[in-house]
Amino acid sequence: MAEKALPRLTRLLGIMTYVSDQGEASFDELAAHFGVSTPQIRKDIVALWSAGLPGHGGGDLIDFDGFLFDDSIASIVESQGVTQIRLSAREAVALVGALSSMLASGAAPDVALSANQKITALLGSENPVTVVATREVDAMVAAALKDATIRRRVAQIEYVDAADRRTSRVIEPHRLVAIDGVAYVECYCRRAQDYRTLRLDRIVQVDVHDEPVVAPAADSTGFSLVAEYTATVIAARGARWVLEDLPSVVLTDEGDDVRATFGVVDVDWVADRLLAIAPYLRDVEPQPVRDALAQHADAVLATAAG
Amino acid sequence: MAQTDAAERLLNLIIALTHAPRRMTRDEIRDTVAGYSGRPRGVAPDEAKKSDAAFERMFERDKDDLRRMGVPLRTVTDPLDGADIGYKIVAADAVMPPLDLTPAEVAVLSLAAEYWQGATLGDDARLALTKVASHTPHQVTEPMPWAARATGSRDATSIVVDAIHERQVVRFDYTSTSSGYGRRTVEPWRLVVRGGTEYLVGRDVDKDDSRIYRVSRIHGAVKLLGEPGAFERPAQIPSSIFSAAVGGTAVIALRPESGHALRARGTALDTAALQDAVVESASIGVTAAELVHEQVPGEWDVVSVHYEHLDMLRDEVLSLRGAAKVISPEALALSVMDYARRALEVARG
Repeated sequence: MAEKALPRLTRLLGIMTYVSDQGEASFDELAAHFGVSTPQIRKDIVALWSAGLPGHGGGDLIDFDGFLFDDSIASIVESQGVTQIRLSAREAVALVGALSSMLASGAAPDVALSANQKITALLGSENPVTVVATREVDAMVAAALKDATIRRRVAQIEYVDAADRRTSRVIEPHRLVAIDGVAYVECYCRRAQDYRTLRLDRIVQVDVHDEPVVAPAADSTGFSLVAEYTATVIAARGARWVLEDLPSVVLTDEGDDVRATFGVVDVDWVADRLLAIAPYLRDVEPQPVRDALAQHADAVLATAAG
Repeated sequence: MAQTDAAERLLNLIIALTHAPRRMTRDEIRDTVAGYSGRPRGVAPDEAKKSDAAFERMFERDKDDLRRMGVPLRTVTDPLDGADIGYKIVAADAVMPPLDLTPAEVAVLSLAAEYWQGATLGDDARLALTKVASHTPHQVTEPMPWAARATGSRDATSIVVDAIHERQVVRFDYTSTSSGYGRRTVEPWRLVVRGGTEYLVGRDVDKDDSRIYRVSRIHGAVKLLGEPGAFERPAQIPSSIFSAAVGGTAVIALRPESGHALRARGTALDTAALQDAVVESASIGVTAAELVHEQVPGEWDVVSVHYEHLDMLRDEVLSLRGAAKVISPEALALSVMDYARRALEVARG
């Protein structure tokens, strides 16, 4: 299967715009700029060269300088007015939404703000997306971690984990990431002696030390955990949106119900997810998952009633 | 195989429609634009029919592709030749204006383009990146220690965005926090992103009122209904729609050394503040101040925390497994108890 039409078309138009703006550009430069190989750029230029008005009369085609082409340099003689197309509504949302989420999470470099302003200004009233900022991350925490990450310095942090334990850790920060609008720091944690991805809104204090980061960044991000057993949950369809988010879940609709089958890695985590959709639940299998669910619910009721 | 690649055919189509003095009809496009095979001459009628059908399929797909990438394709009907539709691209509507981005800004956009991962918007983001980079000189930038990801992003978002742009009515299945599961028919006005959560703002056709929907609570496919241009979007979305939907302040008692995430987001209330605050507790029937005084000292710490969505705070309280006690609002306290009881019913059978 050849490359899809739209990425190639967009690049062909981009090459025309780029070369028009710059006067001339080497194939190597175009390849680096548009993220494809140099032979692909050569093919692209050849394709552009034979494009033009219907009928293909002598002067109605896009024309490049033939001598420069032999030196692997693109220079446009006749463009036929071909230039890059403006952003579509979806493209605009894709960029503005992503940038804004980075900005709103607190894990964004300063240039994200200026880039976002320029694109939003371009869209004007056609912009179909509004981004509302939330303040979840402590600005001091975000600024200190940004500083440590850019300067590659070790940081001592106070961290509250998902099970609500507060710990003091020394981390070597590698990267700040925004996942679903939530900011995390990817780091090597000296306490765990392993790589960790920690939520910024769970970090209560940061002290940046002068010591440089020495641990190499992890090759991959995210977590790969092995499921211990398979669970099956039947719930009213109103809970489908929560079930859809369980890792590697298989969903089947059964009338007004939905059946979800998924691997259980951490039964307490699963019990929390099920508690969140309790009124929709019809059946939960197997027994260990029911036990965890009952245990959590009992603990909640004991406190709420007491 | 001498057939022109689809990208090259689309390029020729753009050039032809941009240069056409008034318009081009389908037949003109088929016969003259490089990449289409032209109407066959002197063939049997069913051969001709097959060729017609193949052209129609190809041309419809090409039109969809052009619209998807933002080319404003105008349809022009000739008053003398009413039945036959022609097409035209007005260059001034179509071109990408120079953006004047710095290389560092392009680099951050390439990080942002990775945000949507597998979702359809990811393809759109990469096309957008190529477009905005077209006007920026190449420069090698330092690798940036940032990244962005959306794990829960759904194709629903891209369909909703298209529908907003085309002003086309959508229908989808939805679970709301207040009225449960049901089918919604909506005139989509605007996509709102708040703290990584995507919302659709629009008019619920059945309820004849403006509403806000969390895109993650849409399930199954979003269907487009009727024709584009079916309604007018209000120029200004009333801000009350949003503020009404986004919560308030809760007061929660926490066991010592627990609820750290809530503590980090909230404000600790000391005894003096609690005595001033008249906070009725639905679950235990005392004020917050009484709660603190009557319990063994140090057993509870009380924080006030802002919430966006009551249900999200309820999930958080539930997940603290008894280390948190809701003092207000009453609706939250009742909801926590209700969920725990319903969970027990299922777990114990």
